[in-house]
Amino acid sequence: MAKIKLMSHLVAGYPTDELALTAARALVAGGADILEIQLPFSDPSADGPAIQSACTEALARGYRTADGLNFIKTLHEENPSITIYIMSYGSLIYTPGVHTFCRKAAAVGVKGMIIPDLPFDNDEGLTKACNENGMENIPVAAPSMTPERLKKLADAGFSHIYAALRAGITGTNTMIDNHTLEFLKKVSAGGSKVYGGFGISNGEQSAALASYVEAVVAGSVFVRIIAENKDNPTVLAQKLTEKVKELTHS
Amino acid sequence: MESTDGFFNEYGGKYVAEVLRRPLDELEKAFSFYMKDADFLEELRIIQRDYIGRETPLYFAPTATKLLGGAQIYIKLEGLANTGAHKINNAIGQCVLAKKMGKTRIIAETGAGQHGLATAAACAKLGLECIVYMGEIDVRRQQPNVAAMELYGAKVCAVTSGSRTLKDAVNEAMRDWAANFENTHYVLGSALGPAPFPDIVREFQSVIGNEVKRQCEERGIKIGAMVACVGGGSNSIGFFNPFIDQKEPRLIGAEAGGIGLGIGENACRMTGDAAREGIMQGYKSCFLLDEDGQALPTRSISAGLDYCGIGPQLAALGKSGRIEFTAILDEEALNAVRFFAKNEGILFALESAHAGAAAMKIAREIPCDQAVIINMSGRGDKDVFITSPVFRPEEWNRFLHAEIERLECNKDIHDAKIMTK
Repeated sequence: MAKIKLMSHLVAGYPTDELALTAARALVAGGADILEIQLPFSDPSADGPAIQSACTEALARGYRTADGLNFIKTLHEENPSITIYIMSYGSLIYTPGVHTFCRKAAAVGVKGMIIPDLPFDNDEGLTKACNENGMENIPVAAPSMTPERLKKLADAGFSHIYAALRAGITGTNTMIDNHTLEFLKKVSAGGSKVYGGFGISNGEQSAALASYVEAVVAGSVFVRIIAENKDNPTVLAQKLTEKVKELTHS
Repeated sequence: MESTDGFFNEYGGKYVAEVLRRPLDELEKAFSFYMKDADFLEELRIIQRDYIGRETPLYFAPTATKLLGGAQIYIKLEGLANTGAHKINNAIGQCVLAKKMGKTRIIAETGAGQHGLATAAACAKLGLECIVYMGEIDVRRQQPNVAAMELYGAKVCAVTSGSRTLKDAVNEAMRDWAANFENTHYVLGSALGPAPFPDIVREFQSVIGNEVKRQCEERGIKIGAMVACVGGGSNSIGFFNPFIDQKEPRLIGAEAGGIGLGIGENACRMTGDAAREGIMQGYKSCFLLDEDGQALPTRSISAGLDYCGIGPQLAALGKSGRIEFTAILDEEALNAVRFFAKNEGILFALESAHAGAAAMKIAREIPCDQAVIINMSGRGDKDVFITSPVFRPEEWNRFLHAEIERLECNKDIHDAKIMTK
């Protein structure tokens, strides 16, 4: 089968600056098309335990937003053709000022923002600030949304929508059934391209999903590999690259 | 004062991931329906009367009045409510609502354990399954409340993520709700979080203020000022609510001054200059955040005030000037515990003692024919492990050692060494 397009998630600064960079390079080497870089936040309520622990660990060593932006800058300079998105929470965007944040993000090469707790219809000016800085706001849709609200989102004119496939949190197994496919159809009904993820951890799942989405999203699976292999950078890189190959079928 | 689309001026809102949108919207609808439903309100009234023990007394404190030398001091004895604090008002209200909505499973977050305790009791009374999320650190330091929750049949889940305290318990409860909202209701314990929780908690806690208003009218008491402690703000907003739209009386919120002004030494969101406007845990308000927007550590001798945010309506009323805020140090709160215990025979919870201390400071500013009403939101029995090491360290130390020895020897109290000497 054709190579599957993959958006792979990574927590900036976890477990160390150096290993985060090693991990990012390994993901790119495996064939990741998009990097979704999470800026660690103290209260990541839409994430599961694996990602939250990674964020807590990075913050405990004094990791700042500026460090995350520098990390992205390095990645962008090394791989200008890879699309980089920021995933984080409203507090980190709103506190410094939405415009200020977006200007800084765009300057280091970020192309889009995924901020699940800034709702698309009350986003504190995020969509506008993204557009003004040559980026896009990528809202997150969930299967539990009412049909009216989902339609409102699908018709709102976003280039991309991130579809959280399981009603719940990241890092738990996703079932790709008719219900899921029906949901994906509704998300893209207004013409937005869809990134689909939440709980994708093996090649079987990504293959089942691939034809319905612009790219498959995987996150917790990488964070777990990193957590398990942080004492051995070579194995860490090798396992990440293998996992990307498995998920992209390349 | 109801919110407008979930906002109180610029504060409030529903800043949550879309997975939580539907349960919040459904809750909002059900709440506004049942608050106009005569059967629901009657059921709630009977439970308030027979189970919570309402109304709670408005006590005139003669000795405190004399010693403080100003206003007439009154104390609303909310700590006499079943389970020992005002938290039960909201827990019962939300659990009855959840039952009406057809939910069978209740989850709650708790810091010190008072809200968890109240929710566990409410679930036991109403026959609902109950899971309480509590930070691992809080589980360790608040064992008496954990034991009580388990007696009520609740399952207490220790939260090991983040700072392992109240805010992390809130995050964990939100996650559970996102995954299980079809059969589960999340009983949020304070007047904060995403809409409609600030409205719901205020309405269920307003029974406090409504009673005070009626009690004062019946007895011809002219209120000069009302004082309440403010953590998230559930007791204060309920206590103040019937008076918010009037110019008088003065409404004063006492927040935790902790041990000083430095970062991590207090929980002052409305006094001092450390707090900033932010968006966290689903709502916009004033928070203790660093310049990136990360939550800052907080500190208070009272676990119930030890939180980095404040309810959005209180923040809005603070900004508009309707509510005054003051910071009370740990030591001032301890002094207030002693003062009211000795002079009035009333044992304040450490949280509520912040209100007591604030009242002691302003008593002389109010004419002596007017009242200062303190909301004693909880009673102090629960604080024995925190106050005893301060008030009587040596005796407490000996007691604990003897207890450990007895436990380790597996002896009945009647055969233990402390009984023979």
